[in-house]
Amino acid sequence: MTKRETSRHISRHLREGRLQIAAYAAICLAVFLVPVLVDNDFLLNRYARYLVLGMVAMSLALAWGYAGILNLGHALSFGIGSYCMAMTLKLRTVPTHTGSDGLPDFMVWNNVETLPWLWVPFHSTTFAIAAGLLAPALVAAVLGWFMFRGRVTGVFVAIITLASLVVANLLVIDMQAYTGGFNGITDLAQLSLFGITFDAYSKSTYYLVATCLTLSLFACLAVTRSKAGLILQAIRDDERRVRFFGYDVASYKVMAMAVSAAVAGLAGMLYTVVMEFASPTFLGVPLSLSIVIWCAVGGRQSLAGAMLGAIVIAAMQGALSESEAFLETWTLVMGVVFVAVVLFLPQGLAGLVEIVRARLAAARARPAEPIAPVAAPGTGERS
Amino acid sequence: MEFFLQQVMTGLSIGSILLLVALGLALIYGSMGVINMAHGEFLMLGAYSTWALNTFFGLGLLSSLVFVFLLVGAFGWAVERGVIRFLYRRPLDTILATWGIGIILQQVVRLSAGGELRYVEMPEVLTATVSILGVTVPGYRVFVFVVVAALFALTWALMFKTDFGRRLRAVVQDRDTATCFGVDADRVYSLTFAYGAGLAGLAGALVAPLKSVSPEMGTAYVVDAFFVVVLGGVQSLFGTVVSAGLLGQLTGSLAWVTNDTVAKALVLVAIVVIIRFRPQGLFVAKVRS
Repeated sequence: MTKRETSRHISRHLREGRLQIAAYAAICLAVFLVPVLVDNDFLLNRYARYLVLGMVAMSLALAWGYAGILNLGHALSFGIGSYCMAMTLKLRTVPTHTGSDGLPDFMVWNNVETLPWLWVPFHSTTFAIAAGLLAPALVAAVLGWFMFRGRVTGVFVAIITLASLVVANLLVIDMQAYTGGFNGITDLAQLSLFGITFDAYSKSTYYLVATCLTLSLFACLAVTRSKAGLILQAIRDDERRVRFFGYDVASYKVMAMAVSAAVAGLAGMLYTVVMEFASPTFLGVPLSLSIVIWCAVGGRQSLAGAMLGAIVIAAMQGALSESEAFLETWTLVMGVVFVAVVLFLPQGLAGLVEIVRARLAAARARPAEPIAPVAAPGTGERS
Repeated sequence: MEFFLQQVMTGLSIGSILLLVALGLALIYGSMGVINMAHGEFLMLGAYSTWALNTFFGLGLLSSLVFVFLLVGAFGWAVERGVIRFLYRRPLDTILATWGIGIILQQVVRLSAGGELRYVEMPEVLTATVSILGVTVPGYRVFVFVVVAALFALTWALMFKTDFGRRLRAVVQDRDTATCFGVDADRVYSLTFAYGAGLAGLAGALVAPLKSVSPEMGTAYVVDAFFVVVLGGVQSLFGTVVSAGLLGQLTGSLAWVTNDTVAKALVLVAIVVIIRFRPQGLFVAKVRS
């Protein structure tokens, strides 16, 4: 490759990068414009819910699409974040059935005398928000360290993360006195930050979610476009070669998993604010599977693709959920779509867009000039 | 002493069912490297086929066994031809695809047969109890034990005494070389998958009279079965037997020591730890990579 060709590749790469940032900014702007057009608090609450789901799908794309870590237990991070927020909001309520120290009602029903030590720091909302970000990241980092130090890869990562999720789910349901068990934590206060009270059915909550979504989308984008992001993609494509170059593969993977978990934890916290409760289903296997499906259908190697995939699918499901029979059929259709995408469109709908775009660009380019493969989306086999 | 024997018998009974579920899983995983997340749903399909044959055609459990094996086996063959064979180079995606297939199967059954529980009657002949060493054991449990032993012997013979088994082992060792020698690897894979699925179907048929039949019934079995496979080592049939027996005894005795949830969580934690430190299984001395 000549010097001139190289510089052309680089400029093309930069141009594509700017295009990507512009596209992401446009998506975020559209998200912020929705409340201007929709003046219905019930609908806004729904939309905020879809945005949160989009956020968690995006965070999985960071770990799965960019670092090759298929985390089937991603709902674990989401659930931990959601419980952290629920715990602090529960302590802010004015309970009707309290014992001493303003105990949450379900603890009174379970004959708990004093507030468990784990609950005590959650009197502070600041602590809860920090915990909602750091606890999932820490759990993911420990799990990642445990796996990747032993060079566990591929399918075994999927099995271990899935098993961890099931264990956590069993424990949360089992420890009813401290977690609310099967019912979760309900009857929460509204979140107050900086003097603003976030009513779930209001524009303020929608804007809170939209802001967090924008910030986390660009934070993840920054990670993927950094040097570390490039190394992660190299690890995804061939872990051994990267190790031979002298990089500490395990640390990079742990980092990717922890960042992805922190974003999922943030999404979980917002989910509690939007839904006004936390439940064991938030760290259940069905949700975790849904996250994987959204990500796969939207495009696992595109942050925005995964996010839009989740928003569109969740919105369609919401529209159909009026009827039980529809919902059952919907699950069936989703299963079929999922298998079809895995088989024929490994890069999801975002990959389809890329293919179409590349075709158009090829048609426009002079025939003599070959298409530079530098910025083309990853092709071929992943393991 | 009698109490102890009773425990052993319970353990053997649980272990035999575990072995039956795990055998198909181990075969598919060990020879093809495919983690079949839909294995539990194949089992469920077997149970529903038994129920359907029972209800609509008046066939008893014993006479439907062959049909169930063929039915679920044929279905497994179709799944391998239609989906799995495109994914041998993408092992992560086989997990996703088989998971998706599992969901599709659950939904199809729920929409067609209904979500409510179904019951399959035990054959009249086997409702009696048998006395072994002074312990009374339900006849049906003994029957299951004998069937599983026979199926295991059959699988072993198939693997090591037939031409098909030799081809399969050749493909497992080195697919390209085996193909050069004229082995049709595609055909070997699809038949192996079909056989594994058929075994899962039989497992479903045999557990149907013991538990109620529901669309979600497979999930519980497949976790334990997967544990058996991981514990036993992927390419060792006898390892599978030993670990099934071990886990059967363990579950039998743990059930009254601790509560159910903690036992389940412990099993999962054990799976995680074993995968991390001995991914080749506990009973495999040496693994060729």
